[in-house]
Amino acid sequence: MAVAEEHRPLPLALVVAGAWLFPGLGHLLLGKKLRAAVFAAVVVVSFVVGILCQGELILPKPGDPLSYFATVATLGNGALFFLAKLLGLGDGVPTAPTYEYGNAFLLTAGVMNLLLMLDAYDIAVGKKEW
Amino acid sequence: MADHFTLMTLHALLLATFFSFLWKRDGERRRYFFKVFLILLLGAVAVGWLMYPFPRPS
Repeated sequence: MAVAEEHRPLPLALVVAGAWLFPGLGHLLLGKKLRAAVFAAVVVVSFVVGILCQGELILPKPGDPLSYFATVATLGNGALFFLAKLLGLGDGVPTAPTYEYGNAFLLTAGVMNLLLMLDAYDIAVGKKEW
Repeated sequence: MADHFTLMTLHALLLATFFSFLWKRDGERRRYFFKVFLILLLGAVAVGWLMYPFPRPS
């Protein structure tokens, strides 16, 4: 007689940390493969376009309170942020015509990834079923 | 990469895809995607026209 396979849920912290580390990883760990792939593609494309547009990965600047909000969004990119910094990218070229667009893409990518963390959390705790 | 309308369209496309997969199930996704995409794109063009009489002081 076959014994039903015991379903052991992943630790919540692992799911949320994975969701932050790489876009879509949290959903992948929860078995949502299609959505994980789409989210990964959307956030990575947004991040790469932001870098190509010579946008800036904004970090806190003294005397500029809004930069603190932007920092939250920037750090929301997870491993992409650290990889870009490691490669010497994301310093931004304010004189470039696409600089502001680049910033918009980079900040959007970070905020989208933060939303993905919340979504993965909701799925993991059972607040969202799909 | 320097064409602003292309970048704006790409941005709208990415956001519409993201939110349709984040908030909607399979059946309602496509309709929601087009709705968000068109609102973002046409809304930006409309706001651009509304701002036209008020140029940035040089």
